[in-house]
Amino acid sequence: MSAITRLRGKTLNTIKNSTALISNRSFSEETEFRVLNLRTVKSQAPVRRKINKPDVLPPRSNQMPVDQDWGSVWPGQRTFHPATVPLPVRQGYTEKNAPPPSKFGNAELMKIPNFLHLTPPVIKKQCEALKQFCTPWPKGLETDEKCNKHFEIEVASSNYCYSSPSIRDPLARIVTLQIKLSSLPLDDHARDKFRRIVGDRYNEENDIVTIVADRCPLRQQNYDYAMYLLTAVFHESLRFEEWEKTKSEIDMEFYDWNVSKSKSSIESIFGKPAEEIVKADVYSKAVGALMNEGENEYTLAKYGESVREMLQLPAL
Amino acid sequence: MLKTSSLKLLSKRIFYVQPLSTQVQPQERLQTFRTTEDNPLNHTSEHIGQFYKLSPDAKKQLFLHGGLPKSFEVQIKTFTESCLMIRQPSIDIINCMKVINYTNPVVRFVLYSKKGNGKTLSMAHVIHYAFEAGFLVVHVPWVGNWMRRCKEKSNSEFKPGNIDLNVDAAAWLMHFKHQNSHLINNSDFKTSQDYVWSKRETTLKDTPLVELIEHGINRIKFASQCIVALAEEIKKLSQEGKCKTLVAIDGFNGFFYPNTRILTEKKEVVHPGNVTLTEAFLNLSKCDWSNAVVVVTVDELAIAEKDQICCLPRYLLGKKGFEHMDPFVPVPVLAYSDKEFKSCMDYFRERRWVLPVSGQDEELQFLSGGNPYRLMQLCNSL
Repeated sequence: MSAITRLRGKTLNTIKNSTALISNRSFSEETEFRVLNLRTVKSQAPVRRKINKPDVLPPRSNQMPVDQDWGSVWPGQRTFHPATVPLPVRQGYTEKNAPPPSKFGNAELMKIPNFLHLTPPVIKKQCEALKQFCTPWPKGLETDEKCNKHFEIEVASSNYCYSSPSIRDPLARIVTLQIKLSSLPLDDHARDKFRRIVGDRYNEENDIVTIVADRCPLRQQNYDYAMYLLTAVFHESLRFEEWEKTKSEIDMEFYDWNVSKSKSSIESIFGKPAEEIVKADVYSKAVGALMNEGENEYTLAKYGESVREMLQLPAL
Repeated sequence: MLKTSSLKLLSKRIFYVQPLSTQVQPQERLQTFRTTEDNPLNHTSEHIGQFYKLSPDAKKQLFLHGGLPKSFEVQIKTFTESCLMIRQPSIDIINCMKVINYTNPVVRFVLYSKKGNGKTLSMAHVIHYAFEAGFLVVHVPWVGNWMRRCKEKSNSEFKPGNIDLNVDAAAWLMHFKHQNSHLINNSDFKTSQDYVWSKRETTLKDTPLVELIEHGINRIKFASQCIVALAEEIKKLSQEGKCKTLVAIDGFNGFFYPNTRILTEKKEVVHPGNVTLTEAFLNLSKCDWSNAVVVVTVDELAIAEKDQICCLPRYLLGKKGFEHMDPFVPVPVLAYSDKEFKSCMDYFRERRWVLPVSGQDEELQFLSGGNPYRLMQLCNSL
């Protein structure tokens, strides 16, 4: 029984409380409008700490004396720096009627490589410094001709230098060997055979044979191989094989008038050996030129003239 | 004062003009491009650039069965006269022919030039000279007719594997007989050996050469072989001094160009060396005989179009042909010189073929590049 009364009393209390809340609310509405503040707005910006920037110095180039040692200002390879280079250089795309951008803040000038560290006085200075490590130039090799005479074989290979994890470069193994064909002691047969063996490695214009060796992994090996090739080809060309006797006229590398049909036909016309025919030497040269140099108006005209002379016909 | 001076001037002018207007205009123009010297025996280098008249009789005898280009024949008909220009190459060959020692082996001349520069007409002039000088003329109008468009073919009976061009060979025999009709009946012209054609047909020794030719014409089957025999006979006759011979072959490189249009029954291309006619004319162009002159032309038109790269003789003759002809005298036929061009235009104007317009010559010379054939074509429409 007592529990029931207590419950009743509690409900009565809540009702009482709620009516009190409403009466309270109506009272506060009259005094102040409450704002729902979702973002917290600071009433005042916090005061920032002022950064003390150092003053920008004027470009160094302004203070440079005219007779300064440029080599110490710009000692090594370096990207262009406008304040260090005392030159009014300009580069870059321009709008119409506008000058090219000046050197300050100019990316164009920084892109291109420069050689400001290699001015002639600097090079001279460096050479002077290197001189103490040099040996005197050997006597008797003063000119290029003398060098070529004493050192017929020219070997060339390349070194590559750049920054990467490995200092090796695969291209450094390639060895190029060059030699003048005339410097080899070869007779006519051997020379012809040598040329046939080396094929397009021989340059007719400057008489140079070029052997490129790149099949071995090391430069030394390639060098040895190139020398071996030269030796082998040289000795092979000196040898005369049995089958070489079957070489016929169409295998000839050039037109040889002395074994040609042209010679036999003029011998049959004149009925005497070619040596005794007047003007046959001019004719033979003309035919040789026509065949070897190829046919053109000039060689043909020469040929015609020589035939007329030989057959004693009036000239054109 | 002013009046008198002007009057003086006027009278002076009248005085100056009058003799000119009354003077008869000398026909200098006419004389520069035309020569009255119609006999090629008398043509010298002074006549170069001038036209001479080829008499109708001579033309009929020499070129009835070909020898002049077709377009030129048409022009002759239009102009109602056959005029040839005297040009450097033909004069050059004629001069040589005048001084050649005929006891020496034959001298071979090879005319070469670009297409349409006048090789054939230069050769026609030489043939006319030889005709007037009493040479026996062995003239092949165009080898291309045999190698590139032959009329009929059959297998040779005399040489297995060889091809006879019967109709063409007989036509050539007709041409030869016609060209040399004034010489051929000479009693000295006799065969030097017996020729057995078949069981029943033989040509005995010492029969007149005409009969050999007639036999070839009548028995078309043997025409090619007959030409081979005739070539041999002509060589012997010349060697013996019974006649002087001019061998003139147009498009000679056709004999050495491997791709003929003659096909066997199996449709295989016949090499020109396997054509019987080639044998005869290569025999005539050898240098193992004397008392004769050989003039041939090498022409790009005698070979297939795809190989018409260069007009020089070594290329056109090939290795074999060059060795065959060597040593020969190459004679270039150049484009019209200024003088020749002027003379040609004057001739066209005289024939009323081209209406005179100022500045015409320069333009035409530029357009044609001095090429005679091109000039002729350009003038056709003027």
